[in-house]
Amino acid sequence: MKTIEQIKNLRFIALLFMAVAVVSCSDDDEAPEEENLPEVFTNVTLIFTPTGGGTAITAEAEDPDGEGLDDLEVKDEINLAANTMYTLTFNVENRLDPDADLNAEILDEDNEHQIFFAFTNDAFTSPMGDGNLGAGNADDDINYSDMDEDGNPVGLVSSWTTGAAQTGASFQVNLQHQPGAKTADSDSTDGDTDFNLTFVLNIQ
Amino acid sequence: MKLQNILFFVLMVWSPLSFAQQDPCTFTISGKVLNANTNEPIPFAVVKVEGAEKYATADEDGDFKIDGLCSKNNTLIISSLGYANSTIDYKEGSATQFYLQQDVTGLDEVTIEAERLKEVGTESISQVVLDQAEIKNIPTQSLGTALSTIQGVTFASVGNNVQLPVIHGLSGNRILVLNNGIKHGFQNWGEEHAPEIDITSASRITLIKGASGVRYGSEALGGAILVESTALDLNTPFYTNLGVSGESNGEGFNTNLKVGSGSENWSYYVNGSFTQIGDRTAPDYNLTNSGKEETALGAGLLHRRDKWKFSLRYSFLDQNLAILRTSFLTSPEAFIRSINADEPVIIEPLSREITEPNQATQHHLAKAEVEWQYAEDAKLTFIGGFQLNQREEFDVRRNADLPIVDLDLVTNDYQLEWKHPEWNGLKGLIGVQYFSQNNDNNPGTFNTPIVPNYNIERFSSFIVEKISKDRNTFEAGLRLDFESNDVRGLEPNNEVFRDQFDFVNVTASLGYVREFENGSFRSNIGSAWRTANPFELFSFGQNRWRLIFGLLRFQEVDGEPNTDNVERFDDSDVQPERGYKFINEFKINKNSNQHVVTVYSNYIENYIFDRPITVTTTVRGPSLAFIYDQADALFLGADYNWRNDWTKTISTDLGFSYLWSRNIGDDEALINQPPISTSLSVQWDQGEFLGLSSSILKLRSSYTFEQFQAPRTVPLESLVDGTADVTLDSEIFDVLDPPEGFFLLDLSWNFEWKNFSGGIAAQNLLNTSYRSYLNDLRYFADEPGRNIILSLNYQFQAKKNKN
Repeated sequence: MKTIEQIKNLRFIALLFMAVAVVSCSDDDEAPEEENLPEVFTNVTLIFTPTGGGTAITAEAEDPDGEGLDDLEVKDEINLAANTMYTLTFNVENRLDPDADLNAEILDEDNEHQIFFAFTNDAFTSPMGDGNLGAGNADDDINYSDMDEDGNPVGLVSSWTTGAAQTGASFQVNLQHQPGAKTADSDSTDGDTDFNLTFVLNIQ
Repeated sequence: MKLQNILFFVLMVWSPLSFAQQDPCTFTISGKVLNANTNEPIPFAVVKVEGAEKYATADEDGDFKIDGLCSKNNTLIISSLGYANSTIDYKEGSATQFYLQQDVTGLDEVTIEAERLKEVGTESISQVVLDQAEIKNIPTQSLGTALSTIQGVTFASVGNNVQLPVIHGLSGNRILVLNNGIKHGFQNWGEEHAPEIDITSASRITLIKGASGVRYGSEALGGAILVESTALDLNTPFYTNLGVSGESNGEGFNTNLKVGSGSENWSYYVNGSFTQIGDRTAPDYNLTNSGKEETALGAGLLHRRDKWKFSLRYSFLDQNLAILRTSFLTSPEAFIRSINADEPVIIEPLSREITEPNQATQHHLAKAEVEWQYAEDAKLTFIGGFQLNQREEFDVRRNADLPIVDLDLVTNDYQLEWKHPEWNGLKGLIGVQYFSQNNDNNPGTFNTPIVPNYNIERFSSFIVEKISKDRNTFEAGLRLDFESNDVRGLEPNNEVFRDQFDFVNVTASLGYVREFENGSFRSNIGSAWRTANPFELFSFGQNRWRLIFGLLRFQEVDGEPNTDNVERFDDSDVQPERGYKFINEFKINKNSNQHVVTVYSNYIENYIFDRPITVTTTVRGPSLAFIYDQADALFLGADYNWRNDWTKTISTDLGFSYLWSRNIGDDEALINQPPISTSLSVQWDQGEFLGLSSSILKLRSSYTFEQFQAPRTVPLESLVDGTADVTLDSEIFDVLDPPEGFFLLDLSWNFEWKNFSGGIAAQNLLNTSYRSYLNDLRYFADEPGRNIILSLNYQFQAKKNKN
């Protein structure tokens, strides 16, 4: 009788632990799968194309390790001709992940993005002034050439007419990501920064 | 549940041993409680003097003493787990042996909880128990806040939903959380993740303030928290508990239900709970995106066969926790703006919707236990546990609908414990344990995994023994762990890195307990060790508003941190943390006073912490970078609690916690350490009142000081513009001064009436604006303002078959 009881008990134990042990053999040595990394920007290139024709002028900034501790490097100065009209466009890349198409990403969400500009006062004859960066400055003069579906400017395409020659001026571009916050009244202090770069501007 | 028992319960917690009153109440009753069937002593039986609000708990040998009685003749009500209550008319000079019959009918849920044997191996460590009544009053609170009323305990948080208990300055995975005896397996890295525990289903929570590594797991450098869910009692008539509560701040509500029953050989329970809270408000503004939603389910089944007990438990928790919108800023410009502003940068109208940033977690726990009580004083226990933790975290970002962190963590535990028969006066427990954890990243986050895939395997064995002589008890314990780690992670360019490392470690503890006429002294010295967790080793990059780098993720190049390579563990100088905690507790009961003083020191070699280190420029602009660092740290502190029963109904409780901590290796401050705090509460426990069977009014005031030991402040602006020059060897700093001290007032009234109990509680009654140094959101927003909580519980218990 005692043996039968013990067998019954053993059966109970077996049942209990089968329930627990089923999922417990999951030892593996798999590494995480590769990820698309469209969140990281390593390279931003500004492309100034003269509207009257001619070679485009580019200036690049690079942060080769993305979020790592290596500092950003602004590699080029912007050298524009005086009294000339340019169209400014951008090329944004993550060279750590060649598959990521960041330009398309930004364009897809153009109603959440806006590029703001700041530059040495009156470096340009159009737009005049010193740009629209900073709180409450969003309405300041910038020649945006593109609009999102809500009719708000984006800034991936803009036009610029240089003024008289000067060297050592500055030109700052700031792409703000403003999900749910981009409105006709929003400015560069709304949302988060995707990139914020300052170049040296020379007009010859 | 009997109403008086709840009252009793509240009293028990505040004054387990203090029952005296003023003169002329000088009569004393002492005696021994015995099992009527076996004549064996019944340990920890509860003896109540009817009509006198007096209680005592028998000791391990069944002996008890109640003094300060106002009359020679009294009616005693004696109760204990597994025995029928006994009512005895005691006259001076009558027999002092009291017999209890084994109960074959019902058990009173609350009575049996009253005082229980402290777990073997922790008897000499100061500990505090929170019971069901205290938890139930505020069913929407977290484990962290529920425990924070205990002296020496506070919580570190990220907002209102992610709250981690901090014991004597240590938190995170230096505090072991045991859920029904199983180490809670969750992503306990950083300050960002709180244990996923539903406290409405907890029947009691025990907080152990000392290093209890030998008994529970070597990581318990700071202490351990034992959460027990509903008891599986035999011989319990069918019961139902239904609770509802609502609160003003966040328009939150909770509803919970528990049913259960126990026959002679079977017992079960089923419980469920649902909580929803919307955006909270600080006194001056809305805390946008601060709500939470939580669903909990649990069930248990026990079967007894002769000397065997088989039990199964399952619990499930589904949480969706919002994190304050304004705290997720990817640009330092926004961060500087935010910390310089009086109000958060982002304030929107109140909403119940939880949006990014948020954390959605599901936690499953299944546990099986077999207990074989093969002799009166000896048993074998086998426990198997399986846990699955699925975590998804969402950030405000371009791909906000995709989780930025998506992890599956599987934890398995097996424990075999032998409580051996008494041998030459030695009582003890010998055990072997196997623990394994497997973390996997689910692909599709569009982000470099912040924590690598890893497998941890650990084999442990331990022995704890104690010997008692007269009023002295000595305790000693030893533990041996073998741990292996296998890590596979991704570099930012998607290249795989792998690492493997092993540890062998010995943990020991030594303790002493001395019982006095009217008090006790406990002393314990315990060691503990912990390896750096994978996040502390391998984290890389963006984590909310900062970039954070693990110990193996950066190297020093020309005095500057450099993140080009991932170092291999064995090539690095990273060492496991080793802690040595010495804790002493004096408990004195004199007249109507109870004093408890806890004094401790904790020396931790290679203490791991994160700190701001530099500003680095990325295309986003300058970013604040944090690194993990190691240093030898010393923690010295004391907790003091004084309770006084001024009259039969009015009592006060004074508490004070002090902690001094320092990085003594580099002779500099530590960051994020709890400031000094003090509290005073006044309680008016009227008992029967206006037709209610119980009425308790309590006013609690507390003052938390400014953290005067905080590191120096280097304003972020000066890091960004380069006027502050910092290197890896610079003195530790923070980017904001610690917040000012603050005074808070809480008021609560709890009642019982027939099968109902409930109450009204007001938290932050004065609607004070304040910020807590241990809240990561102190940079961005104030803590919530006034909150009024209404709760109502209905308890139904079927009639007992007999008596």
